[in-house]
Amino acid sequence: MRINSVNASTQRVVNQLSALSASKKQPKLLNLCKEDLIKHKTITNAWNVYQRKVNEKRHIQLNAQYKSIHEAMEDLKQTSPQLYALANKPEKKKKFPLDMRMPTDYPPTKPWVYNYEPSQKRK
Amino acid sequence: MSRLSIRSFSSSPIASKVGYSTVQPVHHLIPIKKQTLGKRFPELNIPKDDIRSPQYKPKDVYQDRVNEYYQNVLKSDLLLHYYEHDSEAVTGNKARSWGEFSPYAVYRRDRKPKGLSRATRDIKPVTPRNIPELTGISINLYNKAALEESWINISARLQLAQITNVKPKVVYNKSNVLPWKVRQGKECGCKVELEGRDMTRFLSTLVELVLPRIRTFKGIKDSSGDKSGNITFGLSPEEIKFFPEIENFQELFPNLFGFHLTFKTNAGTDERARTLLTSLGLPFYKEVKNVQ
Repeated sequence: MRINSVNASTQRVVNQLSALSASKKQPKLLNLCKEDLIKHKTITNAWNVYQRKVNEKRHIQLNAQYKSIHEAMEDLKQTSPQLYALANKPEKKKKFPLDMRMPTDYPPTKPWVYNYEPSQKRK
Repeated sequence: MSRLSIRSFSSSPIASKVGYSTVQPVHHLIPIKKQTLGKRFPELNIPKDDIRSPQYKPKDVYQDRVNEYYQNVLKSDLLLHYYEHDSEAVTGNKARSWGEFSPYAVYRRDRKPKGLSRATRDIKPVTPRNIPELTGISINLYNKAALEESWINISARLQLAQITNVKPKVVYNKSNVLPWKVRQGKECGCKVELEGRDMTRFLSTLVELVLPRIRTFKGIKDSSGDKSGNITFGLSPEEIKFFPEIENFQELFPNLFGFHLTFKTNAGTDERARTLLTSLGLPFYKEVKNVQ
């Protein structure tokens, strides 16, 4: 026996299940011609090379920063042991301020707050 | 073979003695996909990142601003923040040996670490190579209602798929607990592991659209964490309403389900992980204990 109509709540669950299953969402496999394939590969390779360069640049910069921090601390250790002890004190529980947010795709209407005051005053 | 010819006093000859190999067999441990060996399915041998493969998924299709912010701004800030001069790795609590002299301890498993059941990791000083990073977010949704009616889990799965853009895996009960109506092998919720772009996209919606709109939300508890840099908190069904994917289609989601979020980091300690998460915009609050 075939059931032609189900009640509304059952239909909703059926719809939900069909939205989850992947069978209809799978896009068709692209059949690229040789020229398109070469184009695609060239662009992908160029993008990978660019990414590698960017990563290398970041890596070099971070290493330089680390080296300069190390040298500065080494210098401070020689010149003023008291200041060195203060500077090398670990701040384990320190948190970043909530006002510091990740940049959005578009700039805000008020780009820079000149007379900035922190929103939460900590004790 | 020359040993066989030597007569021995023992009644049983050496050749008939049962020997055993000390070398572990490895042939069962190597999985071989037999389909890929022949010529019948050539597309199985195409790597996944090749566009001709049926499993190809385009990767960098939009700008990942969270990752860019982390790479360009936060990484150097975190490196400076975590820097400690002349610091060395703190060795974790490791498994102990049973001593060298006992013959019974030769193949015995090492003794448990002192005061713990499991060994803990070393805490290494932060260098440019191991700046703490958010490696993943895992979402666990335990659905109590699905224990009675298993179809209820479908809407929970769809809810999670809508929010995260990843197909969730179904979770099944592992044991029988009669008073909770928990039976082994029954559906009891779903889970999602987010990584890469899915993770950053989910994080940005959570931090910018969802959490600021929850009135009662104070932050994540300062005591949360598993001691190795993974921090968990939960969202209730009322709070999940604020996800834009749910909010704009409320009639399609009549019943919502709360879930637990675990932020997985490679920070090593909870304190480091907390600092990292505050840099990504997640607030923390300190619990005030009742003093009588």
